[in-house]
Amino acid sequence: MANESFIAKIEGHGNLHLDWGKNKVWLEVEEGERLFEAMVVGRPAKDLTWITPRICGVCPIAHNLAALKALEGAFNSRLSGSTILLRRLLLAAQILQSHTLHLYFLALPDYLGIDSGVELAKTHPTHFKEALELKRVSDLLADSIGGRGIHPTATAIGGFKKALSKNKLEDLKSEVERLLEPAEKTVKLFSSLKYPEAKTDLTFLSLTSSTDYDVYDIKHISSSKKAQGKISDYRTLINEEIRAYSTAKFGKYSGKIVTVGALSRLNLSGNLLSGKAKELYKSAGIDFQNPYHNNLAQAVEIYAFVQEAIELLDQLTNNEIEESKTLITNEDFKPGKKVRGIGALEAPRGGLYYEVGIDAKGLITDCNIVTPTVQNLPSMEESAKTILSKQKNSSKGRAEELLEMLIRAYDPCITCSVH
Amino acid sequence: MVNKQKIGIFDFTDCEGCEVALISLREKLVEIAAEVEIVNWRLAQKKAADGPYDIVIIEGTPITQNEIDTLKYLREQTKILVGLGSCATLAGIPGIIDKEARSGWYEKIYGKEYKPRGIDALPLSAYVLVDYSIHGCPVDKGELLRVIQEILAGKKPKNPGYSVCFECKLAGNPCRLLNKQPCLGPITAGGCGAICIRGGSPCYGCFGIRQDALIDNLAMTLRKFSDPAEMENYFSMFLKKTPEYKKLFGKKEQNGK
Repeated sequence: MANESFIAKIEGHGNLHLDWGKNKVWLEVEEGERLFEAMVVGRPAKDLTWITPRICGVCPIAHNLAALKALEGAFNSRLSGSTILLRRLLLAAQILQSHTLHLYFLALPDYLGIDSGVELAKTHPTHFKEALELKRVSDLLADSIGGRGIHPTATAIGGFKKALSKNKLEDLKSEVERLLEPAEKTVKLFSSLKYPEAKTDLTFLSLTSSTDYDVYDIKHISSSKKAQGKISDYRTLINEEIRAYSTAKFGKYSGKIVTVGALSRLNLSGNLLSGKAKELYKSAGIDFQNPYHNNLAQAVEIYAFVQEAIELLDQLTNNEIEESKTLITNEDFKPGKKVRGIGALEAPRGGLYYEVGIDAKGLITDCNIVTPTVQNLPSMEESAKTILSKQKNSSKGRAEELLEMLIRAYDPCITCSVH
Repeated sequence: MVNKQKIGIFDFTDCEGCEVALISLREKLVEIAAEVEIVNWRLAQKKAADGPYDIVIIEGTPITQNEIDTLKYLREQTKILVGLGSCATLAGIPGIIDKEARSGWYEKIYGKEYKPRGIDALPLSAYVLVDYSIHGCPVDKGELLRVIQEILAGKKPKNPGYSVCFECKLAGNPCRLLNKQPCLGPITAGGCGAICIRGGSPCYGCFGIRQDALIDNLAMTLRKFSDPAEMENYFSMFLKKTPEYKKLFGKKEQNGK
């Protein structure tokens, strides 16, 4: 094979460069730097939760909630039981929104041999109907609880600015229950797809609760090959490297390449799923050595988070919302001394970390954000290399197609990776 | 048969939330896609045809030289150019960072050796003529649909002439200003349905300053219960790269060094 290189177009403003002869692969991210960690400095603490969701329009709620967790850590806020349930519900809605968008609108067309998700309406109307229903109800959940599905308006440091009535929560529950069927069909559909073969040795990393599949109230950083790490040590554990060819940093865990996201969560916490979600997970046939199976893992999570949303809505409707402890009217915190907080959670694409320093007057002094895609970029390059090395006898076109599908299977969020 | 209008949807540096809003139109998007020919949309399809186009919709801030060049090229290639969302129409959230402050922050965030790509976060109109702006962070789905349908019908869509306050009253929200809470509703163009205030947040002006806005009057009201720093904080959320902001608070921000 000649020593030529070509560029595969990937999601976001990034290019995958390949050099056949040298078996070299590098991911060039060229999105402009917005400098979010600089934007918030000197501004009141509450602005963090308003500004940083704008890092990413696909997972803004994850950024909003991680920012809130960091600030609540700094201010020692005590959250009501209702607040935690509503936050978990909001994050479940976020994962449903994001996975639905990715699976049906971005990944599925590859496997069905069509050009775009919109074409599904004509070529596969049943799948399209299921996708739209998942999208409609997950948007409705996010709109209702967060005030707006993209860039929340109703969350607050310590709780919510608006609370939902019991009637509204009951309506939402009946809407979410309608998703059980399309969610199950999603798992069946993605189990039936023919994924490219790949054998990689991935190290999985995920924030875990160790007691259930919770993605909001997490306790540790868990790795499939190393001992558990403390969230407070995230800065020493996750090292970010600068590469001349990329505006996104490249993250490693204790110096090693790791994989984050749905496949990692299922690998590390899948056994903690319950009920039908666990059954579907067990029967889906996920191959953890095959990165393409991240799509299948996301499909399983669609069912798991529909099930979780129903359970959360059950709890919320069975007990009254403690309005006095949930509703927040004032977010102007002036701590009177320097304070610092770290907030972390599992965003749709993996572990998201926020750290914020606040001065005595309540103004932000510094901020650090580590996004899931930053942690996944080295793994994407590594897996691409492994797959490329097995394609010496394939046509250039086929190899390019496989690599594009691989990058898409990772579901990278380029806008998150450059922030 | 009438030729379908050729549409290209592009995005520069941004969060892609306005494109997600476009996809969230669901069935309506399918209807629009059937009426026209979407010949280029990086986020949602493989097909990526070169121009000329009838309509080009651009989301995001042209922040790198490559994006600025692409923007100028797309302007030549299209009959109608539409800005989608506050990053494109106002510079929005990325506009919070001033050009002069960037070098210090690059060094702090990326280190001394790093060669940055970003030049400055400015709206599309800083470089080319924009035929229509769909404001919002993110855009409002109803407003998005209205504008697209009007453009497709050959009309020149108009921004709502009223302020956010008008829609806020219709929504039955208590007035923030009367409660001594800062809000840019009176000077901001409507079209959002006062969604932020309904959620319990203030209006930071992401739909842009409306025509004939009485900015000085609002500033006078705000001064009664907020200090200058707080007032500037509100105006600098989405409006920092507007002439109105420069007039009110004409000074440089500190460099990251």
